[in-house]
Amino acid sequence: MSMNIKNVADLYAEAARVYGDRAAFATRQKGKHWKPITFQELYEAGLNLATALIKLGVKPRDHVGLLSDNREEWITSDCAVQLCGAADVPRGADVTPDEIKYILDHCGAEVTFVENLAVYEKLKKVQSSLKKLKHVILMSREEKAPKGVHSLEELLEEGRKLREKGNRKAEEHMAGIKPDDLFTLIYTSGTTGTPKGVMLTHANIISQLTRIPIKISPLDRVLSILPVWHIFERVFEMYAIYNGCCTYYTNVRNLGDDLKAVRPTFMGSAPRLWENIHAKILANVEKAHPVRRALFHTAYFFSRMYQGSLYFITGRKIDLHGRNPIISAVLGLLHIVRWVVVLPFYGLFNASVLERLRLAAGGDLKASISGGGALPPHIDEFFNYIGIPVLEGYGMTETSPVIACRTFKDLVIGTVGKIIADTELRLVDPATGEIIYPNKKHKHGGRGIKGEIHVRGPQVMKGYYRNPEATKKVLNDGWMNTGDLGMVTFNDCLKIMGRTKDTIVLISGENVEPVPIEARLLESPLIDNVMVVGQDKKYLTALIVPSEEGFKEVGIKGSVEKLSKDEKVRAMIAEVLKQNISAETGFKAFERLQDFRLVPKPFEVGDELTNLFKLKRHVITEKYKKLIEEMYRSEK
Amino acid sequence: MNFFFATSTLTQLIADKVNHGGGLINNLEKPLLAFMVFIIMFGMGATLSLKDFKNALKRPKGMLVGFLSQFGIMPALAFGLSLVLKLDPQNAIALILVGCLPAGSTSNMFAYFSRGDLALSISMTSASTLMAIIMTPLLLVFYSNLSVFGIPSLAEQMSAEMAKIASAAGTVDPAATIKFQIPTKDIIASLILVLVPVIGGMILLKKSPGWAKAAEDTAGFMGVIVILFLLMSVVARHGDLLVATDWKIYAAAILVGLGGFKFGYLFSWAIKCPPRWRRTISLETGIQNGPLAFAIVMLSFKEPLMSQMLWLPILYAAFIVCTSSIVTLIYRKVGKEDYELYVNESVQRQLFGHFYRHGMSGPKVAE
Repeated sequence: MSMNIKNVADLYAEAARVYGDRAAFATRQKGKHWKPITFQELYEAGLNLATALIKLGVKPRDHVGLLSDNREEWITSDCAVQLCGAADVPRGADVTPDEIKYILDHCGAEVTFVENLAVYEKLKKVQSSLKKLKHVILMSREEKAPKGVHSLEELLEEGRKLREKGNRKAEEHMAGIKPDDLFTLIYTSGTTGTPKGVMLTHANIISQLTRIPIKISPLDRVLSILPVWHIFERVFEMYAIYNGCCTYYTNVRNLGDDLKAVRPTFMGSAPRLWENIHAKILANVEKAHPVRRALFHTAYFFSRMYQGSLYFITGRKIDLHGRNPIISAVLGLLHIVRWVVVLPFYGLFNASVLERLRLAAGGDLKASISGGGALPPHIDEFFNYIGIPVLEGYGMTETSPVIACRTFKDLVIGTVGKIIADTELRLVDPATGEIIYPNKKHKHGGRGIKGEIHVRGPQVMKGYYRNPEATKKVLNDGWMNTGDLGMVTFNDCLKIMGRTKDTIVLISGENVEPVPIEARLLESPLIDNVMVVGQDKKYLTALIVPSEEGFKEVGIKGSVEKLSKDEKVRAMIAEVLKQNISAETGFKAFERLQDFRLVPKPFEVGDELTNLFKLKRHVITEKYKKLIEEMYRSEK
Repeated sequence: MNFFFATSTLTQLIADKVNHGGGLINNLEKPLLAFMVFIIMFGMGATLSLKDFKNALKRPKGMLVGFLSQFGIMPALAFGLSLVLKLDPQNAIALILVGCLPAGSTSNMFAYFSRGDLALSISMTSASTLMAIIMTPLLLVFYSNLSVFGIPSLAEQMSAEMAKIASAAGTVDPAATIKFQIPTKDIIASLILVLVPVIGGMILLKKSPGWAKAAEDTAGFMGVIVILFLLMSVVARHGDLLVATDWKIYAAAILVGLGGFKFGYLFSWAIKCPPRWRRTISLETGIQNGPLAFAIVMLSFKEPLMSQMLWLPILYAAFIVCTSSIVTLIYRKVGKEDYELYVNESVQRQLFGHFYRHGMSGPKVAE
């Protein structure tokens, strides 16, 4: 089925034409059933709502607030805003009044959607300072709109009546959309600084829909759990629409049940969720009957052998140094032998044991798609080895978002796959500005050398809204500086190695990437979270959140606060550090942690963590200044 | 028994081995084999509940087709193969025995992975296992006494052979009639005996589903490990058998399974079963309960017949694992689209309930 689309409004219209009566989105109802909305219904609702919005005064290229979590009304509202030729400014229901004030004021929204009365209450606190804001629309159909607030239902009805009378304003607005117009303006909280409004155009997102290298079809089912106002989930939903596939909204609480009921074929999520599923599977294995536990370990062993050899033979084993072809040939031969020997055992155990693990995720998952942060290597391997390929992607809001993505064919564990079509990649030395890759001066054209990732392509944003200085800092001649460090492997895949800004420079001048050290430590079940510190110091130290669950398993029960004061806990964590960060595990002497402090409170989303569970290092540093100073007291 | 009794080089070789102490399998392997049969049947029972038998009654069409292909196509195919390949009577009877057996529990796993209908497969396996108590001896007697194209029936061939040898050895008065008979009672007894662990497994499933799962898993890999061990041990000690075995025996061992797949598929296709059922019935038809063949042969036939008749089921069991793996992979690939349609529609029907409307899941799929 071919679609000719130039903008997001076209996308909704074409999807209705091509996929019509197929289910587009489905939402769990209070009873046991899920309510679907078809592509046709979605588009019609969008037309009705758009007509009403135009009547309210929404003009092409206006910015419309959309403060809501994932729900069917979100997609209807987005559709309507697109059909108006306007751009939405989305944010989740956990938005704070201060953020509402900053964002709606900065983008100059005259109309905003609010998910429910709770969000409206937050808006009301700052509404007096939002001079431009004229209309508020309540999305929830279960709540009654207060005075002065429109209800979505009422606007849909109003629009329907107008259209019945022949109003075709929406179509007029649609016809006027230019590729360079914004379809959304996303304010990033990011890991640092004040929110910046990322301007993404219709051309940006359409370039993604036509270039994402993963095939999905109307027979696929996508389970959606990430917030849709985040670009990763957003593009996923758009891509599902583009391919006529139904998206099912779930949440963390119902995920286990929904996986089994929906039997998703694809699911996109941040690393944290995969970590949780991984922990749950392992916990179930540990609880199981000893025979079954032994079977699992045997199955996993054979799968690791089998897949390991298969990856090597098919050239998908990560290669950072450019293996000698003779060594490759010898190893390849050995791997072929191992593959053949292991094959029957793998076949047997894969069918009888691993399939049951996959059933925990519904049984039909073709791939898990991970984005929005680096997936710890052991989680990555685990899912691949139990037979759920992990297609890790890499990108950022500013690149709407996909820069690189693994495909089934190029699934190299430890990398984020190849750069997607029509996108140029450069690795730059952050200190000198010299181009490391592609550069013929270097051996192998610059492969295997670390540098800052710069990209240019159709997905790169127009800029930060009303913030030319910030734009100038990252955008230069179409090249976007991602601020991430990476390396091109000899498989021509991109490996992400930390953030330029995260790099800790010790007083000795050594540059340390904290992320690999943290990732290694996070593999320990005893550690819930960790941040490595040491900027401008002699040595590295760490702030560690002990894991309640992990310690409960070993018989030490208590809250994080209690654990943080327990000497035994401290001793055990010290042992984890000693064993994991050493020369034997591939860490250099200056990467070793000389001291650590246990933090009395878990890191939380919105406070110490971003919505994608990334550390907000400056927040944590500020919050635990005293603990950090303590660790360096002896230094002075 | 101390007389030579053979109708081909292969059976001659086996008979020699029996006479020089130790049959095809030695005294260590016998209990191992018995133990394996026990474990496998127990594991099979651990997957079954009474509900499965009741469910079987709910889809009469699938069951009828299954019954016809399992007890109609398969024995006829085995008989036909033995005729076409001109097998000696021992191997011919062993082949027909394989053909008359109920489906094995591994067929469920293969049906599942071939994107078939697991419930239908389980129903077919359980129903055929139960019916085998009557059908297997009945069909075996029927085919071994069947004479076509003027060729003497297998029972007559056997009787003639036995008489010839007996008279040559001078042990029996040549005038006395020696008559080969299928040991029907012993076969029924061994079938019932084998059903005991199945029922044991079913009770376990009812009492403790956790342990039942463990038993099921254990049976799965125990079965393969033991069969691999037996095969290796037999081959190590009787490697000459592999060479002495005529290509016709190999062809029979492989073709009876492949033919079952083929005809099971064609038959269910001809009477317009949905593709998922075709794949299921196909695999269900071709995959027989190999361990049951070992049990019947060991419990119902005496040496040297026992060793002579074990060889073909062993070959069958070894080859069927490979052929059904390959066929399953092919079905999996071929059935992808049809299966995805089916799953999408059934998931959406279930999830959407009264909100479901025709056309929501894409093109209509049968069943």
